[in-house]
Amino acid sequence: MSKRYVQRSPFSRKKFVIDALIDVDLEIAPKCMTALVGESGCGKSTLASCLVMLERPDRGGIWFEGNEVSRCDAAELAVLRPRLQMVFQDSAGALNPRFTAGQIVAEPLEIQGGESAKNLRSRAGELMEEVGLSADWIDRRPLEFSGGQRQRLAIARAIALKPAFLVLDESLSGLDLSTQAQILNLLLDLKTVHSLTYLLISHDLSLVGQIAEFVAVMHQGRIVEQGTRQEIFGQPQHAHTRDLLNSCRVMESAFHTAGGRS
Amino acid sequence: MMPRPKIVAALIFLLSLHLAILFAGFVAPQDPAVQNRDFPFVPPTRVHFVDAGGHMRLRPFIYQWVARADGVYEYQESREREYPLRLFVPGPRYRIAGLFASHTHLFGVDAPAQIFVAGTDNYGRDQFSRILFGGQISLAAGLLATATSLFFGLSIGCAAGFYGKWIDESAMRLAELFLVLPWLYVLLAVRSCLPLHLSPAQTFLLLVAVIGTIGWARPARLVRGVVLSAKNRKYVLASRGYGASDSHLLRRHVLPHTYGILLTQAAVLVPQYVIAEVTLSFFGLGLGEPMPSWGNLLASLQQYHVLVSYWWMFTPAIALILVTIGYLGVANAFHQQLQSDSI
Amino acid sequence: MKYLERRVIHAVLLLVGVSVLCFLFSDLAPGSFFDEMKLNPQISAETVAALRSQYGLDQPLPVRYGRWVKSAVRGDWGYSLAYHSPVRSLLLVRARNTLLLTALATLLAWLIAIPVGVWIASRSGKWEDRLTLAGTSVLLSVPELVVTLGLLYWVVRTHVLPAGGMISVGFDELGLWGKFRDLAAHLAIPVGVLVLAGLPVLLRHVRASMVEVLKSPFMQAARGHGIGRFRLLFRYALPAAANPLISLLGLSVAGLLSGSLLVEVIMGWPGLGPLLLEASVSRDIYVVVGAVMASTFFMILGSFLADVMLVVIDPRVRVE
Repeated sequence: MSKRYVQRSPFSRKKFVIDALIDVDLEIAPKCMTALVGESGCGKSTLASCLVMLERPDRGGIWFEGNEVSRCDAAELAVLRPRLQMVFQDSAGALNPRFTAGQIVAEPLEIQGGESAKNLRSRAGELMEEVGLSADWIDRRPLEFSGGQRQRLAIARAIALKPAFLVLDESLSGLDLSTQAQILNLLLDLKTVHSLTYLLISHDLSLVGQIAEFVAVMHQGRIVEQGTRQEIFGQPQHAHTRDLLNSCRVMESAFHTAGGRS
Repeated sequence: MMPRPKIVAALIFLLSLHLAILFAGFVAPQDPAVQNRDFPFVPPTRVHFVDAGGHMRLRPFIYQWVARADGVYEYQESREREYPLRLFVPGPRYRIAGLFASHTHLFGVDAPAQIFVAGTDNYGRDQFSRILFGGQISLAAGLLATATSLFFGLSIGCAAGFYGKWIDESAMRLAELFLVLPWLYVLLAVRSCLPLHLSPAQTFLLLVAVIGTIGWARPARLVRGVVLSAKNRKYVLASRGYGASDSHLLRRHVLPHTYGILLTQAAVLVPQYVIAEVTLSFFGLGLGEPMPSWGNLLASLQQYHVLVSYWWMFTPAIALILVTIGYLGVANAFHQQLQSDSI
Repeated sequence: MKYLERRVIHAVLLLVGVSVLCFLFSDLAPGSFFDEMKLNPQISAETVAALRSQYGLDQPLPVRYGRWVKSAVRGDWGYSLAYHSPVRSLLLVRARNTLLLTALATLLAWLIAIPVGVWIASRSGKWEDRLTLAGTSVLLSVPELVVTLGLLYWVVRTHVLPAGGMISVGFDELGLWGKFRDLAAHLAIPVGVLVLAGLPVLLRHVRASMVEVLKSPFMQAARGHGIGRFRLLFRYALPAAANPLISLLGLSVAGLLSGSLLVEVIMGWPGLGPLLLEASVSRDIYVVVGAVMASTFFMILGSFLADVMLVVIDPRVRVE
């Protein structure tokens, strides 16, 4: 079953016309990690926003589990939303500094409604434990956590509604390597436990090369190439893909030449 | 987040002022409406610690003012009898906030002497008592008008910042219009189209409504700015992703950001609006006799002979200054707290 | 030039908006002037009816507004029964007097605020700075009403300056220098009060703006070049700090006008203030409307002048 099929279109804003996404046609395989790569400004975040229905495409549609999500009305949307979630970039900005950790993690449940305050609190504690944070920290505020811990909070919040599909928007950027590894392991564990489908948005090709099963390359609003990891990294077809891979290798070799650690 | 000592000190000062005014009946030694036709324009009673014989007394005392045989409004102290100053003295009956009735006053002297802390006016009414009772009116007007302005400012600013587009455009144009008008001119103009002779209660409400409604523009702009920046934060976006309704977003994420602004604006607006009421009453367009208001208490200074000879008629100004200092101190302290919080 | 064009249109729109408000207000005011005139037994009912139709009071609203605007543009601003004269002549004289007062006060306030503000900004944190800030706090705490009454009291007791009015009796007989001195003596207290009222806010803004600029990298670079202090402050820092201050100029005119009303009434300065007050009490609607329009016009003019100055001083604005 193909989980998604996106065909996209130009996106116009009032005075300035920005074609954020042009004829995007993307298939995302279920229960796999698909990576979306490209340079800054190529439209990755816009695509992500559309996928979790924070924005609507001007043309084309998004299909999820057989439903056309982009043409749903509010009621159907409310039902489908919990299944499609996103972990945002910049955990400090994505978490309300005045909320406690427990409030942050439980907020999606609170919005969906129907739970008592006690239940919310215990659910928040469970979620925190699941992502590797101690439930004792439930009353701490985001600024009291480290970057990696905040990212865990963001992940805990994202899985609160038991989604099927999770977009990870640069979730591993800005973290030091050991923390990255820990978060990565967490994500892979969660993927197995909850049968999640991931879309990882990243500009870090070496990371993508290690973990992604499928890769799509974006350039200036278009998807220029997509395929399995082996296909993209082994036999890049498009000129841009080759450029990306080359720059990645150049960086690595320069690093080596300079005598840096690998 | 402990409030800084500055805020606490400023708030205590302000609170004591307000308490004194709220309990005006208790603090004031006289009934403000009682006229002593025998004692018009009496200067403030002097409090003595040393008696005629040169002895020091522990308890301060006063002498009765007595009209001089020669001058019209000249008084001198009658050294016949000393009246010691007492605390918790029985006196005229009064009601606190229309609920409690009592007749104990904070301080006073035995009959038939009367203590005039701030002198009397041309009807022989005790200025000090009138200042305290007048404060109830002037302060209440300021507070209620501030509440009105902030209510409108919050609603319009939130709507403009949150929903944007044409609501924002039209609200901000309207705000510019209101900001460009000189408020006192507008106040007088609006006042002029309303009936001149209203009951005191009606006048009061009218005053509050007019003053409060004109001043919504600045708070609205500030609130809008805060709402705009809050609206664009990532966590608001994230909440939308979880299906949050507008009211949830407003309530949980956006409104808490406005509290700081609202408090600071309140501290700035209250003294301004008190001064507005005082100005209007001073010109005779606000509250008139016999209701005391700091404005109409000061109005007698417009007469030459009062201005020149009876300096104690200036005392309501002291009350006004104290209130202004109190609120501005709180506003400053809030502002500093806000700035250090947002770092 | 696009920026200025936009500001002109903006100013005109504001004026139109205010005029609509004023017109509506004068039109819909309950208990209008003519009702009171009807009560006056000396004026016959026919006269009232004739006056009403002359002022076109029996026409639909937009028509009345149109006629009002037309007559205003032609220079006919209504009639004041209280003063027995056309509003226009009253307004012009009074507006001139208010303008004299407020323009002088604005000029003086800025002339003091800029050098002092710049100087204490350069001494940020030291005793001069703290003293000045304390002084402005004191000034802010004393309402204008109290300051005016206090100064009036002082003047009446000491007879140093005239206690009100604009000119003395026998003004016309004085020579040019005498006239100037007399006017200046009468202006001293009103202008003084307005300056004292406006100075604290101005001073704080100048200081704040300058402190911001003084911290910036380009100032550090200039200091590194060894440029003299005076030059640094006034030729380098001040123009950079001027931007928000000029916007403040536009807004400060508003507060100044409201403040001038009070001073004019208490000191007996024959400006728009006392006129409006009396008209307000006697329900002289056309005078009220005229005074409000005049004061608003001044405010919009002040704000527009600030926009012009901004364009002249800040090159970035022109590029937009």
